[in-house]
Amino acid sequence: MRNAWFGVSVAIGVLALSMTTFEAQAPAAGAQPAARGGREGAAGDQGGARAGRAGRGGRGAAPAGPSKPTPRWPDGRVNLSQVPGVKGFWNVMTGSPIAPGGLSTNLTLDQIPFQDWARALYEYRRTRGGLDDPHARCQPAGGMRVFTVPNGLEIIDQPELNRIFIIGGENRDWRRIAMEPGRKHPSEDDLIPSYFGDSIGHWEGDTLVVDTVGYNEKFWFIRGGLPHTRFMHLTERFTRINFDTLRYEVTIDDKGAYTRPWSGGWDIPWQYTNYDGTPGGEIHEYFCIDNERDAVEFAGK
Amino acid sequence: MNVRALCLSSALLLAMVAPAVAHHSFAAEYDSNKPIKLTGAVTKVEWTNPHVYFYIDVRDEKTGKVTNWAMEMGAPAVIQRSGWKRTSMKIGDLLVVEGFQAKSGRPHGNARTVTLAATGQRLGAGSSFGNANEQQ
Repeated sequence: MRNAWFGVSVAIGVLALSMTTFEAQAPAAGAQPAARGGREGAAGDQGGARAGRAGRGGRGAAPAGPSKPTPRWPDGRVNLSQVPGVKGFWNVMTGSPIAPGGLSTNLTLDQIPFQDWARALYEYRRTRGGLDDPHARCQPAGGMRVFTVPNGLEIIDQPELNRIFIIGGENRDWRRIAMEPGRKHPSEDDLIPSYFGDSIGHWEGDTLVVDTVGYNEKFWFIRGGLPHTRFMHLTERFTRINFDTLRYEVTIDDKGAYTRPWSGGWDIPWQYTNYDGTPGGEIHEYFCIDNERDAVEFAGK
Repeated sequence: MNVRALCLSSALLLAMVAPAVAHHSFAAEYDSNKPIKLTGAVTKVEWTNPHVYFYIDVRDEKTGKVTNWAMEMGAPAVIQRSGWKRTSMKIGDLLVVEGFQAKSGRPHGNARTVTLAATGQRLGAGSSFGNANEQQ
């Protein structure tokens, strides 16, 4: 009997944890075993291995059992977002491109091909405890970081207009992916360095491939502070491997900071509820700058 | 306390203090070597992003001096997951707060748990404390 009560207590604890922390509430049913969730808050660049199911009926979690199959539009193209009758969004804050987080193929920190100056800067940033992170001062989560911050994300496909929007709840950030066939990036002279760069996409089978250049150097593209330069070129691959799972893979090619391109990825689960766990499956407003009171404390050190 | 109660209370306490996320790392702003336990009455509540803040007047028992402390919690959506409602805390409510002081040394802290004195209800505050390797 005691064992039974112990089990019940642990189960309650796990469920309560899922209601308290972000990462525990929505790794998808049917998610690939290789994917180990982490989250920006939990472990910075490396992510953690703490993601788990919210349990049956847990807030935001996928229903128990295998995921439904990948949804498609009537023309057969993969649907990367909501389907009629099923609200929700991608709970993006669940992974890391660096082992032990994310995909089993991810590099460890030691394997990242830093240039010497980039490694030195990265190590310095670590000693500062995140104090210099622009996003801590509510600056935009540029580059791939939009996939590691909380408050959800949707991918809005408008094939008739040859464009896809990625809209994030965090600061209501949005990215525009140009899908016109044959589209080229502007020349370097015409590119205005920006937080999200200039993105061109195309489909390779069921995978959306997005090529982006034109980044500024004013953001950390991941929480731990991996350096990048204006030469950063990201190739992102989005594959909805089943209804509840979006596999995100990114190749970071930056001749200014790394000795060769390197890649990482993780699986992003579908969330069925609002971000606070209440029913709805809709992204709510979140503006970091609304009542930002941390910067004065940073300055006061 | 029997085994059942022990297990249940342990699980719930764990849930209360499980780390949550912030737009900044815990270490950037707060000092894990400066734990604080404050008792005071609420003077203001800001139910806003990126953090819910509440302010309490804390009286120094030795000097009688009253200091107004600003305490950070998680974002509204975070702490609503752990049982908070916007109306959980009202002006004048007496609280016992456990958390950590800012590195700045000012009366500013990161709340880990909040106990409502009137009811004894103890709630997690969405603290970012305890996020393993968050700087790496």
